[in-house]
Amino acid sequence: MNSHWLLYLFFAAGLVGIGLYALLTMRNLIKLFIGIEVIGKGVSLALLATGFAKGNILLAQSLVITFIVVEVCLVATALALIVNINRHTKSLDVRKLTQLKG
Amino acid sequence: MALDIALLVGLVLAAALAILAKDLIKAAVALAVSSLLLGIVFFRMSAPFAGVFEISVVAGLITVLFILTIALTKTDGEVQESRTALWIFPIFFIVFIAVDALVMKGLTAKIATLPAGPESGAFGDVLWKQRTFDLVGQLAVILSGVFAVLALFRKRDKDE
Repeated sequence: MNSHWLLYLFFAAGLVGIGLYALLTMRNLIKLFIGIEVIGKGVSLALLATGFAKGNILLAQSLVITFIVVEVCLVATALALIVNINRHTKSLDVRKLTQLKG
Repeated sequence: MALDIALLVGLVLAAALAILAKDLIKAAVALAVSSLLLGIVFFRMSAPFAGVFEISVVAGLITVLFILTIALTKTDGEVQESRTALWIFPIFFIVFIAVDALVMKGLTAKIATLPAGPESGAFGDVLWKQRTFDLVGQLAVILSGVFAVLALFRKRDKDE
């Protein structure tokens, strides 16, 4: 069971690494947000894998479902923000946000 | 076990494709594929409820929201991603995976775990009886999300 846990945590860390790379290097706002989503996937995989390995799968499932609900609200709000930013700056480039005035 | 590893490798590859794809629609579809694979992994971990939520909500609803946003924000000039970022990614990823493989075992040995007895009963019991407070929190989160989106798209007053 422990080797399964290690395997899942290994891949979860890989997902978090990919998301962090996107957050550090990308310039497109939607790409940045996809990076956040990938980090969220890694976190939910780690949560459920730990529940699976420790024999608490039901509790882990309810936590993952809570996380998914929060994620949906985050996505709706952030995408609405991105649409508004795009209306203001006519671009999706995150570097343009540093030139905002008044 | 082999199927599990194949699913997890596919999941990581789809996530990497979602980051690297130039076309935003392709990136959104790759993200949906990765959450589909994650849902199948959840099913194989005998967590059917989390799998159903992952596939229906994350692979379905969030992809629709992403594609809607991409359609609403069509601009003339595409955002230029830096070329070095795409070029460095394979090196970064290989180094990260190597460090991950070396460090992870030592880290998991150090994690302190609370003693917890084996669970019994149905999933519904745990969700509705043990975690009732979480459900109230979820309702609050959904409501605040709705109000946030409403506030962001509010029409301006006439005197502004």
